[in-house]
Amino acid sequence: MTEKKQAALIVGGGVAGMQAALDIASQGFKVYLVERTPSIGGRMAQIDKTFPTLDCSACILTPKLSEVAHHKNITLLTYSEVGTVTGKSGDFRVRVRRKARFVKEDLCAGCGDCAAECPVEIPNEFDMNLGFRKAIYVGFPQATPNVYTVDKENCIDCGRCLKVCQRNAIDLEMKDKTMDLHVGAIIVATGFELFDVSQYPRLGYGHYANVIHAMEFERIINAAGPTHGHLVRLSDGKKPHSIGFIQCVGARDVQKGVPYCSRVCCMYSIKNAVMALEHYPDAEVWVYYADIRAFGKGFEEFYEMAKKRFGVKFVRGRVAEVMEGKNTGNLVVKVEDTESSKVRLIEHDMVVISPGVIPSEGMHTMATKMGIEQTDDGYVQIDHSFFGPILTKVPGVFVCGCADGPKDIPDSVSAGSAAAMKATIILSKGGV
Amino acid sequence: MSDAKEEPRIGVFVCHCGHNIAGTVNVAAVAEMARHLPHVAFATDEMFMCSDAGQTLIKEKIKELNLNRVVVASCSPRMHEPTFRRVVEEADVNRYLFDQVNLREHVSWCHSREPEKATEKAKDLVRMSVARAAKLEYLPIKSVDVIPKTLVVGGGIAGLRASLDIAERGFDVILVEKDSQLGGNVAKWTHLFPSDESGAQVIGPLIHDVKKHKRIKILVNSKVSEFDGYIGNFGVTIKNQSTGKAHRYEVGTVIVSTGFEPFKPVGYYGYGTSPDIVTLAELQEMEPGKQLLKSSDGKPVKKIVFIGCVGSREPGKKGHEHCSRHCCSATAKAAGDLRDRVDEALVLYQDIRTYGKGHEEFHRLARQKHVIYSKFPQDGHPEVEVKNGKIKLRWFDVLGGVELQFEPDLLVLASAMIPPVDMDETAKMFSLTRSGDGFFNPEHIKLAPLTTHTAGVMIAGAAQAAKNASESVIDASGAAAKAVGLMAQGKVEIESTVSHVLPDICSSCHTCVTACPYGAIAMDEEHDPPVAIVTEAKCKGCGTCAAACPSSAIVMYHSTDEQILTMVEAYLCATPGLQGGGSV
Repeated sequence: MTEKKQAALIVGGGVAGMQAALDIASQGFKVYLVERTPSIGGRMAQIDKTFPTLDCSACILTPKLSEVAHHKNITLLTYSEVGTVTGKSGDFRVRVRRKARFVKEDLCAGCGDCAAECPVEIPNEFDMNLGFRKAIYVGFPQATPNVYTVDKENCIDCGRCLKVCQRNAIDLEMKDKTMDLHVGAIIVATGFELFDVSQYPRLGYGHYANVIHAMEFERIINAAGPTHGHLVRLSDGKKPHSIGFIQCVGARDVQKGVPYCSRVCCMYSIKNAVMALEHYPDAEVWVYYADIRAFGKGFEEFYEMAKKRFGVKFVRGRVAEVMEGKNTGNLVVKVEDTESSKVRLIEHDMVVISPGVIPSEGMHTMATKMGIEQTDDGYVQIDHSFFGPILTKVPGVFVCGCADGPKDIPDSVSAGSAAAMKATIILSKGGV
Repeated sequence: MSDAKEEPRIGVFVCHCGHNIAGTVNVAAVAEMARHLPHVAFATDEMFMCSDAGQTLIKEKIKELNLNRVVVASCSPRMHEPTFRRVVEEADVNRYLFDQVNLREHVSWCHSREPEKATEKAKDLVRMSVARAAKLEYLPIKSVDVIPKTLVVGGGIAGLRASLDIAERGFDVILVEKDSQLGGNVAKWTHLFPSDESGAQVIGPLIHDVKKHKRIKILVNSKVSEFDGYIGNFGVTIKNQSTGKAHRYEVGTVIVSTGFEPFKPVGYYGYGTSPDIVTLAELQEMEPGKQLLKSSDGKPVKKIVFIGCVGSREPGKKGHEHCSRHCCSATAKAAGDLRDRVDEALVLYQDIRTYGKGHEEFHRLARQKHVIYSKFPQDGHPEVEVKNGKIKLRWFDVLGGVELQFEPDLLVLASAMIPPVDMDETAKMFSLTRSGDGFFNPEHIKLAPLTTHTAGVMIAGAAQAAKNASESVIDASGAAAKAVGLMAQGKVEIESTVSHVLPDICSSCHTCVTACPYGAIAMDEEHDPPVAIVTEAKCKGCGTCAAACPSSAIVMYHSTDEQILTMVEAYLCATPGLQGGGSV
């Protein structure tokens, strides 16, 4: 079968998986890109701005989304999951379950007539449940493919969408399908989840309305987000005049099972602190940290700018407790400023917790299917730091992005390209 | 394919960009204004023009209304011009008949507090773009062949990895190294992290594989002395520094992996005044015997101190403002390893940046072994005094709030990663730009970390920024993928927005030849008299030549005088159809 064009499977449609797909496809090989959610784009699509250049995240991402969607060698399999994996390097057989989205991808034009008619409103996961979507929905305007999906758990089967759809694209009887793929190489790019910060009850998340986490903050300051980019408190819609950012929550904490550094939280918080001051130049913004890890290209310079030009205040200390004031919804942060050895109580209108990064949900199941090993922390075990930082212990299966540990965007992109290189070496040798 | 001679039929699409533009600019009013401009057949405003829905709308309207020009008023063309060019092309409109107006960076974001004036400015810009669109001309889409061979510059861990990957993928590589040996900095190191191998153990097998691969030609003791050409077709002269012999090669792609140099911190912490004050890189090269011995008197080291951020993180000091990324973890590993062989080990730091996989574990292990960590303030670094061969160290411990003193036998300075001395030469050779840290700028800091603004030239490893060996290996494979991508396609498209010399008007004055910053213009000796001629693949369309030409003999395709002057006219003449000057 060497004459047949070899194909690769990529699991995960975030920025790392997309980059890997493009770099394989550009060499003329076929790529199947499997994504669990209805759209590719991953976490980067949710972020407002990126550090250290404050580029608008969605704006720099969308060209990649359309490039992936329109590439003739890439087959997008969104709303799909990997079932069984058998075979060996150069000759894998993979069964993919295509979940019923109840909308025919080839017919839907993404016009949105159905959503306008749908009477069910539920919190939108893409907006961290702060905004709303319908039971027939696309998560965000640039969703790729631009095809609606029916959320059957919340759909009331009223059939109104069926009536308004002029292309007859909706099929509420649709069933899950399976698809069998024959691929030479597999790339795992399953990304990450955020640590559940309610595991720290002392920080008040889930109890106090004005304690939010960083991804919620990203959606709030996003111009396409639930508040149209107006930075407001969730309790009363008021502008916050004082904001505190709490670092290392669900990171560098042995007791919570997350002993490692999450690598991105320092920078995304400094970026968010700067963004808060861009919104309200008179606000007071504090960051409570253990070490500031501004290690990447341009990061330290950005940290200096946040301190000097924007006046972000940095306090070295792990926050002991967040308390809510009576009636005001204001919060008091109790922290030991370790540089002066003083315990301080600092009042804020809003507190933003920076959650650490953990392996994506279902990582263990997937690792088992593919026979790849995991680290104690639950990430994919790489073969060797120097000889094979993108190789797994199974030949022909590669890993990139946050699937093998926290990474920022450029490091994920670089790893995506690297995984593509390794995969294409196998594909170019033909196969069985 | 649209015919440039037919009557212009322009579609104008004004983007809300969510709330980014529409929050400030009255986008509906801008679209309404555009609707009444000459040649405009359709104008509308949309939530996100870059979304699939926006793209589909453009294509539908082109088909439905037979549009032959498209104007999108949205964001900076830097990101989305390629998107929209592709969109119009998919609807059979030549990509050069598209024009983009920047209503976000140039209007809504910078005038967010003046919505009315911002709307007026937006209208002006759209009117100018529509006028220009009517004058845009069809340009052909050209491509050039890619020579299936890569030049890799620098034989450190990144260069070796990139060479091997490309060769294994089936393409030829020329690997140039200025040193007499391959291996770079990693080869010299004894304490690599996070694994327990020495640098030699890691680099040895790589060198072995590179040397025996028949597709890789290795040239040590050699430097690139000349470099010209363009993506897919570079000419490179490589000179052997010991024999002086030069040889010319043709390659299609280039990977620059010239790495870093460990900073020699003269003037910092008594470096140079005692043989027992060394850099971390120098410690790495010391004999990894059972006992660590002092260079001064050969006696065993009992007390060792590491100081972090030496020549790094110095605000305002050019080339030393950046964090050197690898040193915190390297220090933690070295201090932890050496702790077993000394009585006391201290690490003086500002922040501990053990960010990577397994790095926090070294840090924790070092502390468990009673390596003492002490934080010093950013504005009060430790002081070192060397007296009678003894090193006296004083510093302020931030967390204890006390002045401390210590007399180490060996003082190790974790010094910065800085670019090699010949970085500037390399930058000029390959037309690369450098960022504040002195390393090369990538094409895009987030999404294109491995490519550069010189098409066909990639960067990998510490040439791009301070990074560790494992990260450099990943970069190397990634950069290799970029090179292979070009070579596997065999052809690459080039821009048609280039300059063109009108031979009948050219006065052969050579002004443009010297003005061109890319060496894209030469004299055509076959023409009589010889006139200037542009190598289109090398031309970046900057327009310097057209501005310099005293005879107006140079046409800038896609920015012709007519196209530019019509925009000025449209700006000054606000009311469509009005002859002469309008209200300004």
